[in-house]
Amino acid sequence: MAESGKIEYRPISVREALTEMKDVSEIMIDLAYSAALFNSHELAEEVLELEKRVDYLAYMIDMNTMLAARDAEDAEHLIAVTTVAAATNKISDAAADIASIVLKEIGIHPIVRKAFEQVEERLARAIVKPNSFLVKKKLGDLELAAKIGVDVIAIRRQREWTIDPSEEERIVEGDVLIARGAPHGIDELKALAEGKIKELE
Amino acid sequence: MAITEEHFKKIVDKLVSLKDTSELMIDLAYSSLLLNSRSLAEEVEALENHMDDLHTDFELLVLSSGFKPEESKDFLGLIRLGVVTEEIADAAMEIADVVLRGLDPHPILKLVIEEAEETVTRVTVSETSPLVGKKIREAQLQEETGMWVLVIRRGTWWLRPRPDTVIKAGDVLIAAGYADGEADLENLASGESKPTEEDE
Repeated sequence: MAESGKIEYRPISVREALTEMKDVSEIMIDLAYSAALFNSHELAEEVLELEKRVDYLAYMIDMNTMLAARDAEDAEHLIAVTTVAAATNKISDAAADIASIVLKEIGIHPIVRKAFEQVEERLARAIVKPNSFLVKKKLGDLELAAKIGVDVIAIRRQREWTIDPSEEERIVEGDVLIARGAPHGIDELKALAEGKIKELE
Repeated sequence: MAITEEHFKKIVDKLVSLKDTSELMIDLAYSSLLLNSRSLAEEVEALENHMDDLHTDFELLVLSSGFKPEESKDFLGLIRLGVVTEEIADAAMEIADVVLRGLDPHPILKLVIEEAEETVTRVTVSETSPLVGKKIREAQLQEETGMWVLVIRRGTWWLRPRPDTVIKAGDVLIAAGYADGEADLENLASGESKPTEEDE
């Protein structure tokens, strides 16, 4: 585990912090299973990095909600917020536990990993071939979520990982995309990356 | 005794069920909060009990696979993965508990769920919707909208959608997916626009 830094109060928007926490914790779960599925230490390390961010957000949400409560009635209104934040934090802890299984070389039996890869329909890894339609396209322009119900959650370019890439990110040949989404869309993304499909409808 | 392929397949199937159930629970838990729905929160509770059984079955399968001592680390990894799915299910249960305990679901929570990248939504199927009379499989909601149906409310019943579940007018669909697909799903359910060909 990484060193723990000192936590100082900062005024934040609880709504924004909790939204980020929810998004990050869900991406962490998918990344963690991907790390286990594809036996990737780098991806597992990224999950632990994200865990630090979620921990920080959890502290900020707790401190800010504490300050927001002036009386018993406020406390009753706010308890649901801190309960959900704590549960979201727990989800990210679970993701970090999966990452630790990968990093500590406890491992998952290779045959199981293989079988798991076959039945796991929501997560996929696709390598972008030189003749792929995706080459040089901006993620934002592709609108993969709207068109095929798929979200690219991470990109590996040589040794560099980009987690939760922005809309401005441009795909290049050789990129390894980690994506999650509807099974049909996952197949379509793989075909697009391999150059088997030449356009997005 | 060597471990058979068949035994591995059983282990993997159980693990996938554990993983899918825990993730469904999270989506349903957030949905129960968004809609402040006690009956949906009770669904999460029922799934939590189901998870316990699944988890025990899974652990027994792993432990009875007759692995060699040098393989024990690999199998420990499997046991730990099972534990993680249980942790995720517990977290979902804590979220649903907010509703079950009648805590005031603060407006911030509703905003957070609506604004998140992966959202949950509720739509009512109108009489004129093209979805009426179609099986879930035929409706191709995932392909059309990028959203998948978690659960269907028909009258006072909650139905878990199966590929051949027929959608009826008046059904309330609770769906999860990326926020971009929400409008498309609403259009389909309300019957106010055609399912295809409006994307570019």
